[in-house]
Amino acid sequence: MSSRRLLSFTLALAILILLIALPAFASTFIVKTLTEVLIFGILAMSLDLLLGYTGLVSFGHAAFFGMGAYATGYLAKNLSPNIVVVMPLALLIVAAAALVIGFFSIRVSGVYFLMLTLAFGQMIYALAERWTDVTGGSNGLSSLPRPLIELGSARIEFDDVNARYFLVLAFFLLSYAALWWMVHAQFGRVLIGIRENEPRLRAIGYNTSRFKLLAFVIAGVFAGVAGALYAGFNRFVSTSDVYWTQSGQVLIMVVIGGAGTLLGPVLGAGMILILQNIISSATERWQTIMGLLFIGFVFAARNGVMGLLKQIFQISNFKFQIVKPKSESEVSNLKSKI
Amino acid sequence: MSDQNTLMDRRRFLKGIATVAGTAAVGALIEACAPAATSAPTTAPAANTIAPAATSAPAATAAPTAAPTVLKQTGNVKIGLILGYSSVYAALGESITNAMQLYFDSVGGSAGGRKIDLVKEDEENNPQVALRKLSKLLDQDKVDIFSGVISSAVALALRDPLHEAKIPSLVSNAGANDVTRKAKSPYIFRTSFSNWQVSAPMGPYAADKVSKKIVVVAADYAAGHEDANSFMETFKKAGGTVLGEVYPPFPNTDYSPYLPKIKDLKPEAIFAFFSGSDAVNFIKQFSDFGLAKDIKITCPGFLVEQDVLPAQGKAALGAISVLHWAYGLDNAENKKFIADFKAKYNKDADVFAVQGFDTARVIVEAMNAVQGDLSNKQKFLDAIKAVKFNSPRGAFVFDPATQNPIQTMYFREVREVDGKLQNVVIGKTDQPVADPGA
Amino acid sequence: MSLDFLLIQFLNGLQSALLLFLLAAGLSIIFGMMDVMNLAHGSFYMLGAYIGLSLVRAFGNFWLALLIAPLVVGALGFIVERVLLRPLKGRGHLDQVLLTFGLALVALDFTHATWGANILSLQPPPELAGSLPLGPVQYPLMRLFVIVMGLLLAAVLGLIVSRTRIGAIVRAGVADAQMVGGLGINISLIFSIVFAVGAALAAFGGVIAAPVVGLKLGMDAETLIAALIVVVVGGLGTLRGAFWGSLLIGEADNFGRALLPDYALLSVYVIMAAILLLRPTGLFGKKT
Repeated sequence: MSSRRLLSFTLALAILILLIALPAFASTFIVKTLTEVLIFGILAMSLDLLLGYTGLVSFGHAAFFGMGAYATGYLAKNLSPNIVVVMPLALLIVAAAALVIGFFSIRVSGVYFLMLTLAFGQMIYALAERWTDVTGGSNGLSSLPRPLIELGSARIEFDDVNARYFLVLAFFLLSYAALWWMVHAQFGRVLIGIRENEPRLRAIGYNTSRFKLLAFVIAGVFAGVAGALYAGFNRFVSTSDVYWTQSGQVLIMVVIGGAGTLLGPVLGAGMILILQNIISSATERWQTIMGLLFIGFVFAARNGVMGLLKQIFQISNFKFQIVKPKSESEVSNLKSKI
Repeated sequence: MSDQNTLMDRRRFLKGIATVAGTAAVGALIEACAPAATSAPTTAPAANTIAPAATSAPAATAAPTAAPTVLKQTGNVKIGLILGYSSVYAALGESITNAMQLYFDSVGGSAGGRKIDLVKEDEENNPQVALRKLSKLLDQDKVDIFSGVISSAVALALRDPLHEAKIPSLVSNAGANDVTRKAKSPYIFRTSFSNWQVSAPMGPYAADKVSKKIVVVAADYAAGHEDANSFMETFKKAGGTVLGEVYPPFPNTDYSPYLPKIKDLKPEAIFAFFSGSDAVNFIKQFSDFGLAKDIKITCPGFLVEQDVLPAQGKAALGAISVLHWAYGLDNAENKKFIADFKAKYNKDADVFAVQGFDTARVIVEAMNAVQGDLSNKQKFLDAIKAVKFNSPRGAFVFDPATQNPIQTMYFREVREVDGKLQNVVIGKTDQPVADPGA
Repeated sequence: MSLDFLLIQFLNGLQSALLLFLLAAGLSIIFGMMDVMNLAHGSFYMLGAYIGLSLVRAFGNFWLALLIAPLVVGALGFIVERVLLRPLKGRGHLDQVLLTFGLALVALDFTHATWGANILSLQPPPELAGSLPLGPVQYPLMRLFVIVMGLLLAAVLGLIVSRTRIGAIVRAGVADAQMVGGLGINISLIFSIVFAVGAALAAFGGVIAAPVVGLKLGMDAETLIAALIVVVVGGLGTLRGAFWGSLLIGEADNFGRALLPDYALLSVYVIMAAILLLRPTGLFGKKT
């Protein structure tokens, strides 16, 4: 194992231990905040599969998040709070919707794709507003039961902050592992190929539409997972969960964190949620500060938080390298380019 | 008392484990980075870090363990506020907060012998955000009392966590009937109104004094439908006929697609529910398109309340509304309130300010009644329930069944008084109105 | 359904369509030529309205406000393009989205801090305060003015783009900006000017919209989304697309609201989706 790999392995292990041990020493508030960060982390990672890997900028991702939340909330209230029963059903609904929406959306590209997904997202939002019997309309779906797992005689109730944290952490780790595996498998390489040069991939015989649709559905399902967890976490679902501003927020999380890396969007989610919480508590002018932060970020950190981290690591590496002076011609060549 | 001690023990025990695990340093780091560092000032100054393990605990528990209760009851009382401070609902949030501040200042900033600390959080008109903020107020700031909430969806979202945390709470705006009906909680009071209260009384009044042929126009969301239904119920009972119902989407800027339709139904009057910028646009366009000439407007008072009236201008003249307060209400409390509010903020008070003012007063009076001792929750809740005083809106008293105020509803008409538009009181309900509660 | 009713609804649709056109025109050309996705375009509209209001309050003259507010906002647009967007050249849409979203947040908060959170209104100038009798209702003159100004500006813009040298450069720029640069034309100055003109048009729209729909925080996002819909329906980078797209969306939205109020939230999205599925690059967009 190279020293670099060893370092990242140790780091990952340390983070994992920290995440597991966290409820032992952190306050309720921090545990709750982290739970929410992990939920939005799943959501952001799922969008990144589309945005960062496949190059499809979706502006309607909240549709699947919201649908997962609504379906889970409704079923938990009317059928059973048992996750084992409710979650698969909810995800099935989300997958079906993602299949239909994806089928149409992938026919267009670029900004047209962005706007078409927005359109579908807003249709789902309108449905949530109007289908009051199921969604509670603008008043939201409230007083949801606490989630529990019941399998045979085993029964775990998640009625404590820490228990819910571990539930979400488990789903987060599973989602991360699944997505990591996907983007590093042949499937992920095809997606990246689509992002880089779709016609070329098609020319060598890939049915790229099928891959794009599959990516769309998978992303939708993971967004649904996040939504389902969120319904259990807040025990409330509202139309703001499916509104376009929610889609926009996830998009910002991915971009801030660094598209095309799985961990980046999670860091982005954490940054947005925590910063916004701190700043908006501290000052009424929080919008200005967030806005300036975003602007500053664009210039300071190409490729988001992950890009910034990489930069820092590279800079620290540079210290140990002896930079060879460039030849005259090379330098003048560069100058003329500038 | 026992709560405090077990908390302490658990905290110490866990801290011990954490230290053994060698992660105490990381824990302290996280605690240090946590929002606590930048949130509203805490009561006791944070201890300096000489012995990290012992002093990194939050301020409240850093005091001698022998007398936590005493500390709790003589220290400042923390009131957590979640209200709209940005974008669309900011005007309402600012109004409520200003009036609360006005009242707190008038009693020297303390209640029951304890100084009052306000911790303000932005509702952002989003239940997600509000839930996050509530968690901060409850788990980190450890507020003793909660108040706020502009939006009904947010009020319903916060209901369960407030109920479970057993935090005495005062809803100072959100009007959804369910807040004090299906979702009512012994810990939650409402100092503002229920949607039923601000629309049902208009039914008989309109049928009697305005017209028996009315078209109902309401924003197409929960509050709009609640208001429309409450009105239609009592209006029909009083012999009125509803010629048609029109529900423009919410929010909406342009009502021109709906105006010809209303006109086509040939009503003598409409009952309209809108608020905020929708209210401004509706009233202005209703007049611009010439409908105001021969169709009278009846409405819940929000359509023409002080916050929107200046922007509506003369287009609002003649609108008849019902509300639990009116700018022109003739009583000593109201006159003083309006004058004090104007003197302090150089703005006219509105109904939201009255709600904030009364909310603050309920808190202070209840705190005084228990001498600042909140340790017995039931006693404090009973004290809130028993609060009675003369508010700018008239007598203020809670309905023990719903914990929503029983209040006189005023009929008002927009008139020009000394060159200024004002809601002038033209009548009131015979009896104070209580929400039916089911 | 009477003819009067249809006529009034048609005029209403036309009025909101032409207001949208003022935003969509700039947005579309900026996109087509500079490949910039500008989420702060709605902020130019909002700032135009509020600055216009302040000018009317200060000088008591609507026409002066209508002249100056767009100039101020245009200058702001020029600076934004030079200082913030130019350095991002070649960085892709996502960075632009983040940057312009940040700008929109700052603009919104600035508006809140400067003009307060209350809903404000701007009286139409005395010349346009009345209304014309029209069937069962009266039609406000201010709305007719919006229609006239919209049509006028559409015609002027159309002529500039199709008949003038600068128009030719813009058209060539949409087709291939690099090539235009290669011809020794100062393309970077053209970019800044186009961006500034787009901002000014949006601000102009804001000023004439203010007496019709009032001023409030959040008017920026509302209008931006509608304008973006118009842009993709019409096709990126074409003035013609922006014009017909506005008409289609404006009328469809208006008739949708009037005839099918239950589906009012949906109509524009359904239409956009339908058009994109039939024509993946909008009505007049370049095929990719």
